[in-house]
Amino acid sequence: MPVYKLCIKIFKKNISTLLIYFFIFLLFSAIMATSASNTQKELEDFSYIKTDIAFINEEESVLVEGLKAELSKVANFIELPDETEALQDALFFGRVKYILRVPEGFTGSFMDRQNVNLEKTIVPASASSAYIDLLVNKYLNTAKIYVQNMEGISQGELVRYLERDLSEEGHVDILAGPENSASSYSSIYFNYMVYPLLSILIYGMSALLISFNNTDIKKRVNCSPLSNTAINIQFSLANLTYAFVVWGLMVAFCLLVDSNNINSSTFYYVLNSFIFTICGTGLAFLIGSLAKGTQAVTALTNVVVLGSCFISGVFVPTELLGSVTLRIGSFTPSYWYVNANNQIARLTQFNFDTLKPVFSDMAVVMLFAAAFFSLAMVIRKERRYS
Amino acid sequence: MVVNVKKLVKRYDDLIALDHLSFSVKEGEVFGLLGPNGSGKTTAINCILSLLKYDKGEIEIFNKPMSPTAYDIKRDIGIVMQNVAVYEELTVYENIDYFCGLYINDKILRKDYVEDAIKFVGLEDYKKFTPKKLSGGLLRRLNIACGIAHKPKLIILDEPTVAVDPQSRNKILEGIEEMNRQGATVIYTSHYMEEVEQICSRILIIDKGKAVATGTKEELKEMITLGEKITIEAYGVPEKSINSLRDLPNISSVEYKESILKIKALKGKNNLESVLEFIKNENIQFANIYSELPTLNDVFLEITGKELRD
Ligand SMILES: Nc1ncnc2c1ncn2[C@@H]1O[C@H](COP(=O)(O)OP(=O)(O)O)[C@@H](O)[C@H]1O
Ligand SMILES: [Mg+2]
Repeated sequence: MPVYKLCIKIFKKNISTLLIYFFIFLLFSAIMATSASNTQKELEDFSYIKTDIAFINEEESVLVEGLKAELSKVANFIELPDETEALQDALFFGRVKYILRVPEGFTGSFMDRQNVNLEKTIVPASASSAYIDLLVNKYLNTAKIYVQNMEGISQGELVRYLERDLSEEGHVDILAGPENSASSYSSIYFNYMVYPLLSILIYGMSALLISFNNTDIKKRVNCSPLSNTAINIQFSLANLTYAFVVWGLMVAFCLLVDSNNINSSTFYYVLNSFIFTICGTGLAFLIGSLAKGTQAVTALTNVVVLGSCFISGVFVPTELLGSVTLRIGSFTPSYWYVNANNQIARLTQFNFDTLKPVFSDMAVVMLFAAAFFSLAMVIRKERRYS
Repeated sequence: MVVNVKKLVKRYDDLIALDHLSFSVKEGEVFGLLGPNGSGKTTAINCILSLLKYDKGEIEIFNKPMSPTAYDIKRDIGIVMQNVAVYEELTVYENIDYFCGLYINDKILRKDYVEDAIKFVGLEDYKKFTPKKLSGGLLRRLNIACGIAHKPKLIILDEPTVAVDPQSRNKILEGIEEMNRQGATVIYTSHYMEEVEQICSRILIIDKGKAVATGTKEELKEMITLGEKITIEAYGVPEKSINSLRDLPNISSVEYKESILKIKALKGKNNLESVLEFIKNENIQFANIYSELPTLNDVFLEITGKELRD
């Protein structure tokens, strides 16, 4: 396989230049990805900052103590005198965000399956008070289910059950939460990967194509006893090898850095990037067939790769792009690739129905690949007969 | 017959680049294709190698019809094209190894062949150099090594010495003669008649795609009327003497410019003697005198009416 070996050798000769690109890009995407996911984490952590509330208790009971213990996970209790004016001042000046009053006889009525409620006073439209609401409701509703279904359940038993259930639910919450949110390291990394992947594919492959298409060298090869088919097969194999080594290295880097967060979405990120690599190979092939010199390649690559990265949501999140830009962006394969990534990031369940939009994006990328390859073939054919 | 070309016609649109060109090359020859720039040498080579489609004619190599898929024929041909064709990315050694590898699969054998080729063109000290670091002459030698490393039976070289320093040129010409001694048949194109005269055993002169004359250099020189050229450095030769010199038998032309008298004589004996006698009789003062036999340039000039070199 002399042609295959030659191509691999030429790739290796260009490796120093390409490695520089590779590491700069890796560093860049790693920095961007970590900083972006940190920002996102801070945003999420914000809701866990404890809210100041006043808990006014007109009776002591095991059930009420249980509720207070549960609330203490998300709230600081501020001691306030039980006077209407003092309480209103505290709300007004923001010393507390939420006042919860347990009326006398609440526990008794609740255990007797009567419809009773706690009284609350809140600052309107506050996110943190809504969160407290949620927790109080969850606690009481769960308790209600036990009381209604378990005849003669004691308060002590009830509180134990609740403690267990709520902590379990909390655990489930985390699984479905940040790990799969739109900003995990992997999702960001795989979006940024468009830039280094395309650049390295195009630089490497077009450099090879240009050497290979040199008419004088072609003459020599055409005079040899190697058939055209053999030459083309070996040449294509070498390019595929190159493309998948580059892809493999990039994916491996991400999996290494983000090894704690490998889950089912990772598989789809990898699959999506694999399909995008095929498309990138087609694009590199096309540019290599179009451009006549290395400088032309550099210029074309910059325009095509940078341009499409900006308008397709690689560098700037799609939410921040205008609809016109996005419409233009949708004529680039990276738009569909990024779109698929973002959808994978939002998924919590992976089955055919939920993955359908992801697969259709992948199909569009494949269509782009087919278009690039056919166009390159046409150009090469034209060139051969001119 | 190693190569047999019959009535080859090649057109580029309106231009007839090859016009019913026929010739054959026998085993063991160094066959020269001599013609000015644009006469169709490269076109002829490209057609012979099936790199170019032609309009009419037949081409046989090793007595088999040549075609783009005649791989068994191609296996025994080595080509050195007019333009240097090597990979910039590869070193001298790697380039030769690659092009040799298109013919020779066996690694050990190929290593020997590549070393032989490097020694042959004298690039031992440059094995690890990339083509960019080689001078024009060395680059040409690399180009040749890439074409002949697989020890082909037929070697075709298209102007391998264009823009080459005299040292490299001699090395190249000696190399070609050496390969021929080792048994290779050679087709060599050039527009330098000295080179062709030096190494070719048979020569085809072409002009505008047509065969002008063919034969050994002696045969070619026999074809024309010119016998010898006599040049004399002479002072103050009167017009009358020049005219009577012209009237001498066997003298075809006389030119006098800046004290140099150029005389062309037809084939025959004692031309120089009779000219000398004439000059003595006319009492013309002279310093230097010498006589040359015709060159291929004279052959070309007499047949086509123009100089070989433009
Ligand atoms: N690709 C081409 N298209 C059109 N004309 C060509 C082409 N190649 C060569 N020619 C013409 O054909 C003639 C022969 O060219 P060529 O074979 O290169 O001559 P040589 O090698 O003897 O210098 C020239 O007049 C040249 O201009
Ligand atoms: Mg030529």
